[in-house]
Amino acid sequence: MFIGIDVGGTFTDAVLLDRGCVRASAKVQTKEDLLSSLLEALDKAMKGVSGDLVERVVLSTTMITNLIVEKKYDPVGLILIPGPGLSHQHYQFNTGTYIIPGAMDYRGREIIPLRRQEMENAIMDLADDGYKNVAVVGKFSSRNNRHEKEVAARLRWNYPDCQVEMGHQVAGQLNFPRRVVSTMLTCATREKYEYFVDSVITALSKRGIDAPVFILKADGGTLPLPCSTRVPIETIFSGPAASTLGVQALTPPGETSVVVDIGGTTTDLALILSGSPLLASKGAAIDDYLTHVRALAVKSVPVGGDSIVERVGKEIIIYSERLGPPYCQGGPMPTPTDALRVLGLTRLGDEDRAREAMDSLGAPLGMSPGEAANKVCNLVIDTISAEIQLMFTQWEQEPAYRVWEVLEKRKERPSTVVGVGGGAAGFISQIAATLGAYPVIPPYAPVANAIGAAVALPTLEVTLRVDTEQGYYSIEEEGFQEALDDANFTEQQALDLASKWLGKRADKYGLNQRIEDVEIIRREVFNMVRNWVTTGKIYDIHVQTPRGILGHIGAGGEIK
Amino acid sequence: MEKKTGLIFFPAFDWAISPTHPEREERLLYTRDQIFEEGVMDLPQIREYAPRLASLHDIARVHFCVPRVQSQVTEAHLIAAGSALQLGDAVVSGEIKNGFAMVRPPGHHAMRTVHGNRGFCNINNEAVLVDYLRRRHGLKRIAIIDSDVHHGDGTQDIFYHDPDVLFISFHQDGRTIFPGTGFSHELGGPQAYGTTLNVPMPPGIGDETLEYIVDNLIVPVIKDFNPDFIINSAGQDNHYSDPLGSMRFTARGYADFTRKLNPDMAVLEGGYAIETALPYLNLAIILALARLDYSYVLEPDYWPGRFTENAERASKVHRTVDYLRDVWEKRNSADIDNIFGKGNFYQRKKFIYYDTDYIEEEQIEKVKKCSNCTGYLLVESRGERGYRAPVRIFAVTVPFSACEACQQEAYDAYHQAKKKEQYDYVYMQDKSLDTCLNYERDKNHEWSTEG
Repeated sequence: MFIGIDVGGTFTDAVLLDRGCVRASAKVQTKEDLLSSLLEALDKAMKGVSGDLVERVVLSTTMITNLIVEKKYDPVGLILIPGPGLSHQHYQFNTGTYIIPGAMDYRGREIIPLRRQEMENAIMDLADDGYKNVAVVGKFSSRNNRHEKEVAARLRWNYPDCQVEMGHQVAGQLNFPRRVVSTMLTCATREKYEYFVDSVITALSKRGIDAPVFILKADGGTLPLPCSTRVPIETIFSGPAASTLGVQALTPPGETSVVVDIGGTTTDLALILSGSPLLASKGAAIDDYLTHVRALAVKSVPVGGDSIVERVGKEIIIYSERLGPPYCQGGPMPTPTDALRVLGLTRLGDEDRAREAMDSLGAPLGMSPGEAANKVCNLVIDTISAEIQLMFTQWEQEPAYRVWEVLEKRKERPSTVVGVGGGAAGFISQIAATLGAYPVIPPYAPVANAIGAAVALPTLEVTLRVDTEQGYYSIEEEGFQEALDDANFTEQQALDLASKWLGKRADKYGLNQRIEDVEIIRREVFNMVRNWVTTGKIYDIHVQTPRGILGHIGAGGEIK
Repeated sequence: MEKKTGLIFFPAFDWAISPTHPEREERLLYTRDQIFEEGVMDLPQIREYAPRLASLHDIARVHFCVPRVQSQVTEAHLIAAGSALQLGDAVVSGEIKNGFAMVRPPGHHAMRTVHGNRGFCNINNEAVLVDYLRRRHGLKRIAIIDSDVHHGDGTQDIFYHDPDVLFISFHQDGRTIFPGTGFSHELGGPQAYGTTLNVPMPPGIGDETLEYIVDNLIVPVIKDFNPDFIINSAGQDNHYSDPLGSMRFTARGYADFTRKLNPDMAVLEGGYAIETALPYLNLAIILALARLDYSYVLEPDYWPGRFTENAERASKVHRTVDYLRDVWEKRNSADIDNIFGKGNFYQRKKFIYYDTDYIEEEQIEKVKKCSNCTGYLLVESRGERGYRAPVRIFAVTVPFSACEACQQEAYDAYHQAKKKEQYDYVYMQDKSLDTCLNYERDKNHEWSTEG
């Protein structure tokens, strides 16, 4: 049996899956103490089932997201080695930042050596300012990590208690500013995340569950919980990933659908294209920071059931704020939920108060409460539909760097609009109609997140870069680089090497799944030519285990 | 907030002329590494666009491709040209303040008639953009400044008789480098005298002299000309580390030039120092277009004061600049009949060598000297590839501003030529109606495309 738990901001959901069916589910309020809500949900879902029957537990949590957004972490000092390029004015990250001289180029060749004295000064200044966490990040450190290692070693030598993170170990993709942010946030959240992981493992074992425990990442893949402490920020936005996977599991394979999760103040959108969730082309953004975290393409629209609605002149306008519950439930202002109540599309709250709310909006414009309610609903529907269209257009307009990519560009539109979340019932059918698609509200929609967590599979990827002229190769995800002195290294050997590393990573993460299917995401070979003679090759190879879900959910089970 | 700078980065990582040719997959690889690592695409001043394909008609509006457009373009060519159009649309609509199409393959050696590839080019991206902007958006006057080390002979050829297109090229002296043209006496035809300006430079010239050319020729002439749109044909092989050129410009020099020129769009041309120059140059040009600080961009082997200008060579360039300024200022009072001869037509004979495809072309170009419009153009061309019978074509261009009489005469010439045995293909390019015709004798068939 599989367990999925989604620890959200308001509710903690849990489901118990048994042979592809939802055997039990639970929904409890999320309390200040995450762990107790987690256990409460777990106990409800597990009623009458012994812990040793559980084969796997997957968690999704907003914990790290909230830590970052609420800035509840210790300050991190930055030692940056950007070298020439963009003006150093661009590197202002609202924290103690020390820029030291030194530079690598795009092929990892040192172009400016580290200056020892300035490095020492920066380290001393950081310590004087009281930083206990330090991130060391160099431009092109994924091509050559020597400078980062030197600085980190010196830091550790002088201040053994200092927690040091190096850029090349956190994110290997190109984009120095994003690497700085990813490293800084990793450094900032690691300690609290480790504590969280420890308590989860302890709590589960108290309930007699000693099955492997995983955590859901922003890209919809999972990591074994104990190993995830290396990369806490990979868990940001696991909530939207969970609901997307949940919908994927609850709808037939191969569909192109939009996932619309209408909550109180926001509506979260995600795309499933021909059966698989769309990944964002760039790393996730959090709290105004751009990171390297691979994430599903999700979009949050600031409109929900509790958004306040106001008449301004002859217009009715929806604001992105929430001022408490809807008017029909005793709130201060009219909301879309009141409109739904008037139209009979929900049974929440008091109908008379809802009418009163719509009347206050509509009367000055000569509208009946029903007409005003219609107007409000249409505003919500139009806003969300427009955002959905925009998501498709943006996906179509993503840059392409190869001829075949440009020619491959697809134009796709959803065949279904799948609603989950509180406000779904009232709005989904009309949003679907606007888009010319079928509305679907799947069974178990209220716990779709937990289902998504339960069916998520581990994913692993490896990006190999070989530079035969310089004689080295590196594995981006591991921050690993090693000499390679085979001038005749072939593309096949490069593919084999990448697959070998994928296997190694699987072992390291305790995933005893055999790496049988290796998906090649990118394979590129560039000849290096000097004076019309080929002097070397650059191989750029990206492989991963296939993305997907455990299976689709059949009928049966019940929601408690 | 100030408008953004639009970028299309289309490195065509899967397109090359041949595996060891300078124009190959690897060319923009290190540029990609540099601009991606710098996080350029994330800057709030930058907006990245996806490329699109130019249509065959967009190409036919500019070129006479032999035998037809499809046989001279690969998809990569359509994407490179289409990228320029995509950004052109965005600039004209006001979505962005300027744009940089960092694309391959390049195009400024592609002339009006295309028998094959010369100077790594088949399709002239800037020319396709110019005629598209005029046709689609109704722009009239356009300036193209070519900063490639090689003379932009294709662009010059296409607009040589067009008074509404100002073409200025500075480049290494044609006696020392491909394509061997671009001398200061090439000033445009009788209908467009003075709107082509060439500054040939002796090898070894650096930033200081470039600044002189910009301040004393390019900026004042553009100001006079008052164009609706400025395009930089942004070749980067004037860089001191370029393997094909022998000049000494730096990334900083190129960026200063870009800042002063302030073009609406830059379109990448040559530049083959793919490791030592391109990553730094492209970054500096992007920053200059976005009006960001580019003073931190430095080539690893450069230090201020590394190059000093050779006074004698520099003064040679100064003299050329003075001469061209003079031509420009007196262009309207020049004695055209004395320069080009009397008669209804001006005719010139051209021999064009296609260095990449080993084709020899002989061409006679005639322009109608019309006082009501810029005059139509007749081209008779014979392309010879060693191993097969030469291809002979006859082509007619009707300009955007054609008067009725010229249009009539041009169509007469086209229909006459269709009857003549000696031409394998006959073309009509009517820019005023945006219609292109292509007649193939063997099949006795006429194709047409319309915008």
